[in-house]
This record gives sequence, C-alpha cells and structure tokens, in this order.
Amino acid sequence: MVADFLPNLISILILVSVVLAIVGAVRRVKLWRQGQPSTIHWAGLLAIPRRYLVDLHHVVSSDKYISNTHVATAGGFVLTIISVVLIYLLGISGSILNYALLTSSALMFVGAVFVLLRRRNPPANLSRGPWSRLPFSLLIFSSSFFVLTLPATGKLPADTGGWMLAIMLLVGIAWGVGEMFLGMTWGGPMKHAFAGALHLGLHRRQERFGGGRSTGLKSLNLQKDKLGVEKADDFKWNQLLSFDACVECGRCEKACPAFAAGQPLNPKKLIQDMVVGMAGGSDANFAGSPYPGVDVGTQPASTYKGGEIIPIIDVLVPAKTVWSCTTCRACVQECPMMIEHVDAIVDMRRFETLEKGQTPGKGAEVLENLKTTDNPNGYAPESRMNWAADQNLAVFGEHVQQADVLLWIGDAAFDMRNQRTLRAMVSLLRAANIDFAVLGDKECDSGDSARRLGDEATFQRLAKTNITTMQQYQFKHIVTADPHAFHCLKNEYQDFGGHYDVYHHTGFFADLVKTEKIKLDNKKELSLTYHDPCYLGRYNGEYDAPRYLLEAMGIQIKEMERSKTKARCCGGGGGAPVTDIPGTQRIPDMRMDDAKSTSAEIIAVGCPQCSLMLEGVVEPRPDVKDIAELMLDALSVQDSPLEISLVETHP
Amino acid sequence: MSDIFRRDPRAEWIARNRLHPQHVPQEPLVLRGPTGLLRKNPHKIGFIGPNGIKRIDRSGASNANQLGRKAAKQVEVELPLHQVDSPDFNILVAVDAVGGRLSSHDRDTLGLAHTLANKGDEKGAVIAVFFDDITEENLETAGIDSLIHFDDKGYKSYNPEQRCADLCELVTTLRPKHILLPDSINGGADLGRRLAAKMNVRPACNVWKVTGDQLICRGGAGKTDITRPLSKLLLVMEECSEPVSDTRHQNMPLSVDVNAQCQLKIQDLGNISVDPNEINLAEAGFILSGGNGITDWPKFHLAAKTLGATEGASRVAVDDGFMPRERQVGATGTWVTAKVYIAVGISGAIQHMQGIGQCHKVVAINSDDSCDMVKRADLSAIGDSSEILDELLNLMQGDTGLSEQGNTEVKYA
Amino acid sequence: MLKDISKTTSKNIKMSVLISVGEHPLSARPRRAEQDARALELGLKLAPESLKILYAGSTGDSAATEVLKEYMGMGIDQLEVLDVPPKTDVTLPLLEKLQQDCPDVVLTGIRAENGESSGMLPYLLSEQLNMAMVPAITDILCIDKTTGFAEVLQALPRGQRRKVKVNLPFIASVDMAAAAPRQSAYGSAMRGHLKIDPVTRTMHDAEQEQWQISPAQARPKRLKIVKAKTAADRFKAATAKVQGGSGKVIYDNKESAEAILKLLKDEKVL
Repeated sequence: MVADFLPNLISILILVSVVLAIVGAVRRVKLWRQGQPSTIHWAGLLAIPRRYLVDLHHVVSSDKYISNTHVATAGGFVLTIISVVLIYLLGISGSILNYALLTSSALMFVGAVFVLLRRRNPPANLSRGPWSRLPFSLLIFSSSFFVLTLPATGKLPADTGGWMLAIMLLVGIAWGVGEMFLGMTWGGPMKHAFAGALHLGLHRRQERFGGGRSTGLKSLNLQKDKLGVEKADDFKWNQLLSFDACVECGRCEKACPAFAAGQPLNPKKLIQDMVVGMAGGSDANFAGSPYPGVDVGTQPASTYKGGEIIPIIDVLVPAKTVWSCTTCRACVQECPMMIEHVDAIVDMRRFETLEKGQTPGKGAEVLENLKTTDNPNGYAPESRMNWAADQNLAVFGEHVQQADVLLWIGDAAFDMRNQRTLRAMVSLLRAANIDFAVLGDKECDSGDSARRLGDEATFQRLAKTNITTMQQYQFKHIVTADPHAFHCLKNEYQDFGGHYDVYHHTGFFADLVKTEKIKLDNKKELSLTYHDPCYLGRYNGEYDAPRYLLEAMGIQIKEMERSKTKARCCGGGGGAPVTDIPGTQRIPDMRMDDAKSTSAEIIAVGCPQCSLMLEGVVEPRPDVKDIAELMLDALSVQDSPLEISLVETHP
Repeated sequence: MSDIFRRDPRAEWIARNRLHPQHVPQEPLVLRGPTGLLRKNPHKIGFIGPNGIKRIDRSGASNANQLGRKAAKQVEVELPLHQVDSPDFNILVAVDAVGGRLSSHDRDTLGLAHTLANKGDEKGAVIAVFFDDITEENLETAGIDSLIHFDDKGYKSYNPEQRCADLCELVTTLRPKHILLPDSINGGADLGRRLAAKMNVRPACNVWKVTGDQLICRGGAGKTDITRPLSKLLLVMEECSEPVSDTRHQNMPLSVDVNAQCQLKIQDLGNISVDPNEINLAEAGFILSGGNGITDWPKFHLAAKTLGATEGASRVAVDDGFMPRERQVGATGTWVTAKVYIAVGISGAIQHMQGIGQCHKVVAINSDDSCDMVKRADLSAIGDSSEILDELLNLMQGDTGLSEQGNTEVKYA
Repeated sequence: MLKDISKTTSKNIKMSVLISVGEHPLSARPRRAEQDARALELGLKLAPESLKILYAGSTGDSAATEVLKEYMGMGIDQLEVLDVPPKTDVTLPLLEKLQQDCPDVVLTGIRAENGESSGMLPYLLSEQLNMAMVPAITDILCIDKTTGFAEVLQALPRGQRRKVKVNLPFIASVDMAAAAPRQSAYGSAMRGHLKIDPVTRTMHDAEQEQWQISPAQARPKRLKIVKAKTAADRFKAATAKVQGGSGKVIYDNKESAEAILKLLKDEKVL
C-alpha cells in the first residue's frame, strides 16, 4: 500500500515543484531582462560544466575544506536530481538507478554534514538566516531520498516503518524539494545554483575563463540619454544575472581593504542590495555583516525598500559605500562566482559623477584639474618635464621621431618623492644602453583616476589625446613605472584604437637582467618585503618579475601573509585618497602593519601611488623603496653605470 | 645712540700706524713665541665677510670704529622741502588710508603721482584725498602737496557712494590732469571703478608701470600685459613706483567746498566678528597648525583660541581624526599664504612643505631639531610641544596689558 | 554667526547671473570663470527657479561653447546667449537685455579672466541702470522684496566679513571667498540648451586696437632701497647678508615662548 502510494505521491510532488520551479525561473529571467542589452554568449552555456569544474573550483579550492564539501554536496545533489527525475518523473526503474540514487544521496548527506559542521560556529563573513537553514534542508533532502530508496534496493523490507515513516518521508521530501527546487528559482539560497550556472555560461567577461584575464573597465557610450547606473535596470542584464549568482560566502568581505578599515563598504552586502534593487524586498532580510558604520534596518523602510525599481544611491546604498572602494579587485579575485563588483561600483560612480555631479571629497577638484591641465593636481602642463631638467632626455618630436622604448612618465613627474624613482629608471635604462625617449610635455595623465572616479568623458578625452600623440612616433614598447598607467595603456586604450606593447618597469628590467644587459650585485644583505601593487598583480598578473629582480639582487623576500593574489591594497587606487571616505583606521596603516609583522626593514614597491600611501604612514616604519631605486643601488660597479649616464647625452 | 659717527682722522691715523707712540694694538697681533721670536698670527687679522670670505680692512675703518670715532648726537636729516607754489596742473590721489595710516600701496600711488607731477617742464601738485581720520605720523614724507580731508562722521563707515560723489565733485572743481587710486581690496579698487563709471571715462586698471606717455597694466586676470596710452584715471597696483623718500612736502590743507548729494543705496551694518576657525585656510593670516607630535589636543585648541589663530593640521593629524579634512595644510590639502605659520609637532613631509611655501614666517615647535620643518623655520622651539604651548599661554596671560597696547596699532593687510 | 543665514528671502525674486568664459592661469585653457561660477552657485542657491543666466560673447568659438556647456553642467537647462561679435564691447547689449528683464538682483564675477579684465562691467551696468553696486560679496543673507532691501556679506582681506544692507535692485560682484561652485556634470552639460539672441546694436571697441598685448612679464621683487651717501655704504648694502637665511633654534622652553611671542608681535598678528 504504502510502497505504491508513496512513489506516486512523490512523482506528483516532484512534477508540481518542477513546474513551479520553471515558472519561478521564467519570472527570474524576466527580472534579469529588465537590464540593458548586452552580447549573449550562447557558446558559453556549453562551457558551463568545464567552467564550473575548472575555473570556479580553482577559486574555491583555496579553501580545501569547503571545496571538498561542495564537491560532495553539489555532486551528490546533481546526481540525486538526475536519478529522481529519471525514476519518479520518467518512470524508469532499475536497480542500477536505485543504487545510483542511494549512493548519490549518501554522498550528498556526507557533504551536508560537513556544511553543518562548518555552520556550527560560522565566521563573521558567512551569512546566517536562510543560509543557516540550508544545511538542514540538504540533510533532510538527502536522507529522505536515501531512506526512500532503501526499500527499492532491497536493503529494507518494502513496508518498513509503515505510514509513520511514509508521512515523515513525505514531509521531508516536500521540504527538501521545496528548498532545492523552488528555492532555486524563487529566491532561496539555492538560487545560486541556477543563476550561478547561467552566470558562468553567460558571463559578461568570457575572457576570464580558461586561464585568461579581462580586467579593463568597459567603455561607456557618452551619447546615451542616461550615463551610468542610477537604478538596477540600468545595469546590463548579465550583470543582474551575476548578482543573483552570489552565494554570500563573504570571501569578498574578508578580502576587502575598505571593509577591514571600517569604511562603509561590504562587497557582499553591496551585491545583495543590487539584488534587492532588482527583485524588490528589503535589505532588512540580509543576514550578513552590514556596511561598517551603517546599521541594517535602522533606515526607514520607506527609503530602504526595493519593490519597484528605485534609485540605488542614497536610497538603497549610501553614496559613501560606492566611494569607499579602492578598485583593488581583491573581491573579484576571491569571488567563487566570478561576480564583477568593481564594474558595478564604477557603473554607479559614473552616474554620480556624470549625471549628478556629486563626486565627493576633492573629486570635483581633481576632475576639474584634469580637464584644464591634464594632471590631477593642476600643475602647469609645461612644467611636466621640469623634473628631468638635468637628465638630457630625448623627447619625441623635439629630438627624435623614433626610439625602441617610449618611457611613460605619468604623474609621478610632479611628485618629488616619485621623481627619485624616475631618475633611477633613467639611470638603469642608460646603463643597459636602451634607446628610449619620452613624450615630454605632450604626455597627459593616463586617465586612470578620472575613469575610476566615474568621469568617463574625461578619461576618453585623455585616452584619445594620448593615442593621437603616440601615433605620430615610432616605438616598439612602452615602459612605465606606474601600474595604473600600465593597465590603462595596455588594457583600456584598446577600445579607442591604442594597441601597444606595454611593460611595467619591473617586467622590462627583469628581461634586461635575464639577458645580462643589466648586471646586479647580489652581495648586499637586505631585510626586505615586497608589496604587490593591485594594478600590477591582480589586474595584470605580474607577480614574478619584481620577485625575480629582488632575488637577482640576492635578497630573500620576507613575504607578507597577504601577498600575490591576496595582497592587500595600499589604499591608493580608484581615487580613494581623493574621495577620502573616513573609516575607523587607514588602509595604508593596515598594510604597513602587515609589512612590520615580517620585521623587514624595507618595503619594496613598484607603484608611485603605493610609495606615496605607504610613505604617508607615520614613522617608525620600514623604508619604502621602489624596485628601480633598489636596482640602482645594486647596479654592478664594473659597468660603471654612473659614468655612462653622465657622459651619454642624447642628440 | 646715533648710527652716524663723526670721523676723527687723527685717531684713525694713529690706529693705522703701529709705530705711532700713541698706538695701542686692540689685540696682541704680534706675540713673542716660545722660541723668543716675534710671531704674527695671520688668522687674527681681518674678519669674515658676509659671504664667508675673509676680508682684511686696510682702511683702518674697523679699528677706527672702536677707537677714534666719537658718536655724534643723532641729527634728524632734514630733507629738502618740495614746494609747488603755483602748480600748472593737479594730480588727485584718493588714498585708502585704512585706519588713517598710509599703507605702502598708498605711498607707492603717491610716489607715482609725484613722478607724474614732475615729469615735464610744467610742475604739478599732488592733492591727496583722505576720508575718515588721519593718524599717519610721517605724512610729510609721503609726497602730498595739498591735502583734502573729509572727516564727517559718515566717513567712518563704508560709504563708497558718498565718497564717489565727493570725488566726482572734486574732479569737476579741481580739474586734475590725472586721478590715481590704489587698485586695492581696501576700497581703492571699488571707489576708482565707481568714479570711472560716474565720470564715464575709461580707467586703466591694474597699472604697474608708467613710462613716458605709455603705461603697462595687467590684463587677463594677471596673465597679460597691456601697453596703452596714459589715461586720465589710473588704478595702480602695489609697487607701481617707488614711494617718495627724498623730499618733504607741504601737506597744505585745501579747503574745497564740496557738497555732493547723492542717493545712498548701501548701508554699512558693520564688520562681522569672524571666528578664526571659520576663515578659509587659504585666506588666513595666522595659522597654528598641529601634527602628529601633539599629545594634548585640547591645549592646542586653547592655544589657537588664545592666540586668535586659525587652526591647521598635517595630513596625519587629519587622518587620525583629530582635525577635519578641510583643515589640512599642504600640497594635498590647502596651500596657505599666512603671514605667520606655527607648526606644532609637524616634522614636515615634503607635501606639507610645498603647501606652506608662500608663508612669510614659519615657526616650528618640535621635539626633534633635525626635522625638515626646523630646517625651513625662521624660529624653532625644540622641546615638548605641550610644555612650550603652556609657556606661551602663561606669557599671553601675563602679557594681556602689553598686547592690548600693541593692539592699538591698526593693522592693514 | 556666519552660518546663521535667515531664510527670509522672498519668493519670486528675479535674479540674473552674468557669466563669461574663463581661462586657466597656468594652461590658458578655457574653463568656467572661477568668480562667475561662484556667482552662478550663489544664484542657484537663492533662486533656482527664476534664475536667468546670461552670456554675452561670440558663439562662433567652439571652445566657448564647451565652457558654456560646463556651466550648464551645474544643473541648468537653458542659457541665454547674446551673440556679440569678437572685439566688441558687451556692455551695451547686456544693458539692453537687463533693461528688458528688470531683474532684482544681478550677480557676476569681479573681473574677467581674459581680455582687458578691468572689472568695470558691473559698475557701468549699475551706473546706467541706476542700480546699487556691491563689490566682492560672499553671500546674500536675505532679500526682502516688500521692504525693498537685501542684506549681503562682503569679503574683506584675510577672511574678514562686512555686512551691508542694500536697496533693491542691485548688482553684486562675487568674490572668490564665496561658496565654491558645484561640480559640472557631463550629462546635463551635454543636454543643456543654448538660447541664442542676435544682438542689434553693438559698439566696436576702437580704443583697444591701439593696445599692445603681451604675456605678463614677471615683476621684479622690490629690493630694500638704500639711500647710501658713500661708496662704502653702497658696498655694504650690496653685500649685506640677506635676512633669514637660516632660522634660530632655541632649546629652552621659556626662552622659546618669549621669542615666539616677540615674533608674533613683530608681525602684528596678535
């Protein structure tokens, strides 16, 4: 009796929930379709399994515990679903299938136990609420099907437990199926599986999969009626999809320097607020850490309410939240679902700057200076080369029309601290007999900070001006000491027709050392640590060249705990020093504490912004030195580089 | 004592002549050495000159200074009196005379007027117009031949319309060849332009040089020089000419019956007392700036209040939350132009030093005498900042009587 | 005290702001003129609805149009342009325009950032329109149309302020010490609308054609004048040590406090 009745009922139950799930899925897709059109990468859908198993797991596996747990749970779940659908919906039976269901649900059960264990004392970065319910739902789902299948495999007599067990199983399966099927498309924690899978396939940056990299910001059409993102439906549809993929694991929160410094930004909450903006509801349901200093739910419900599409900034999200970001990409790097937080933040900043004219702090002043003087601090454009008055540099258009290397100076030209780095670089290039020239006063700011402050118009003007200038001359490579300019020139000028072979000076010098054009003395003993600049490391994947150079000088790098992909930002990126959102502590101070804990006496850096931020930390602290400066100190004496650099003069 | 010495050639001669019986060497240049030989110490001869090079003065003046010269009683040098009895033309100068004193800008304007009056064969007279009281002590060296003084009660306040009407009537009566005003924020710029509009003449503004029949004035908000013919009404910049210094002038009071009536549309409601901390840092004249070395912030605020200084801060002090961001001084904060800048506990990061580049006097209060701020400072106090501020506060309290006396001097910026 | 701005400003105040194309002092690129932008900011604060923004100048210049757009980026839909040909005096067209409009308040900068930059325009307008003229204001505290008075704050040197009561209508030039202008937003700058009025009567500025205009020469710093009577005195004056080469360093607290106080008194800042 029970044995017949139960499978039928379960079939109906699963059929109903599958139908409901499909209805939910259609509704969810409709929500995403509120967004703006964007290229649909259909081919990506085929790549979902591979992307899940390779790219996603590559990120997840940095935490072995959760990666194994997820493999067991998700793998078990997928197999269970397939078996259940085959058995109960299509009516296919067979002992192999029953055994498959039995093992898969058992596998899922084991995974769910580990999920539960992790959730006993969850760290602060994990969300509670429905997410705390999930392990129980997983256990119930898997155990129900396990028990249900036992009789079919003959391990238990068919009528074991009688009605009592049957009802319990029914309730369990109803709960489990509800959570797993309906929750997937109606907004439960399992939403991540449905949206996440689609997101992996239809990701806005397809280049990121299969070991590629795509970090340049997307350019904005300035002719549009609305510039940037005001409301959730101003995002591209695939961005809205990506927000739904969030699993609230809080890895971004752990990595975010602004969050750690007590600035009102939590990338995880930001993404969830975007979901609220898209799907309605209230941020009061958010069960994770709030924006530091901004309490969840203390805002009147009328302002912090989703429902219909409402403006995001100052209604759903405080303006200072999006201005706290240093665009260091630590959150993007850490995100297992490959969500692009920085893109979303810059999109919202674009609306604030281009439409509302509300760039906070000194932002307005910096942007005005960039408009009128092409440098952020408003110095006279013709004083750009003043630092090199004694350097006899060859200038494109004045002395030469072509050279092997275009040395991109950047705004370090106006800063007395970073002029030291520039001088060191010039000496090194001369020691290696490199044929190089500079653009001189014709060079403009790369537009990095303007773009990240949301002023796409100024960025595009600067980019086009620089590209037009560079078109007039012949050179093979661009070398720069500024990773921000490096990133812009390499990745972001392409949209405007600027394709260059760009080197960061560490990469270029590493090649010179390898080919023995520069010989470094490796006798000095230095107690030194290296700080990875975000725009060199995470943005462009260059972790080895600076380390190679330091090791070539005979230095044993005392690595900080957060280094390479996990390196903490210095706080200088994305215009954060300009917008100056207060927190409970300063990001460079935290980074300096990281450095101090290695007991190194020197921090080597490869970025003018990093050296400014880190030198801004109150002494006593380790010395901050650019790698170029360290290299100049270690330049092998046989080459007598100083003589060369003094004697050699350009035409 | 006077700094003018009367020469005594005889004493000088004796000082020069070592063989003179009355010669007394001021210090034993020649000594008998241990071997019994006479030795002359060449290091003792001469003195170190201003650029660090040793100079030997063989004129005897240096010796004579100490020996033979007798200080003469100071005699006020009587400058020649410049008299214009029957002027061929007049030049009218309306001075700012804030608080009744001539500013250096006023004196430069009068100097230019004097030059213009004595340029050709004809001799002109400089007529200065004063509004409000005159408290200036050195009036006769300013170059004023005649003086017109409006000292009704109404002129004590800001009444540019009345002043303009008066000047306009003076112009019709006196028919001056030129009218000069200082192009200054203290009133001259406003008054001059009012007058120009009323008289319907085109003024030359921001004039900084007059050569012959041409003048050069700044245009384009200071970016260009415009060379143009000399005009009737000139609004002149500071240092447009040397002030008068070689002659005394008569300051003859000129009574002109001026009875200008005009509709007064502006009424002065008086100056507003401005809290020094409300003043924009870039404008502030006196800044007390605090940095990382400050341990006692309430005392710092008290000191700023007592001294009446505008508060500034270094970047670190702002970052640490002791001061608001708009108080940050430096290249990354506000570029300041204060007359006096006191840096308390600021070691002087390069960006900070850039920001205070235009300050006139810098005082450093710091515990480290090797820091960059001390190197830049005109005066450095080394020690614990709160103790030094304490001493300063004590002095201020004991000094109130004295400082009030000092305050009667009217300051002009 | 300064922040105590009573909101007694009457409704329906007719306000006009005169703007010009500025020039950056270092790069000489066209930009919003700093004082004019402050005048506009003040106007937007006081009468955002009834504000009229006037620009008199040539529209043929694309750089000028860019700058006008930047002004519109401050949140302005429409800007009136009196199309005055270059090298022509703008006073007359502005005068006629203002006679038509009859504004209660006209705001403008103290002086232009290019051209003659004499700062005469507001004075000429006030004289011709028989309006009061208040120079270098930082704020308007109240405008009362019923009594016909307004109270304004005037900037004095070193951050001091004077309160002035003035009859309506009046012209005021706005000082750099007034509130900084809001940021220009690219979106509204691009979408703003220029309403171009042709100008019938103009006055050619013939006098300016005689002038020679050159980049500003650096003015030498005035040296201390030494009225020396003898050659030795002149020699001494020429070789005298320049004051303030290196600072005095004092290690005693009491002594240093006294020295600081003396310096403050010498500089007359106490």
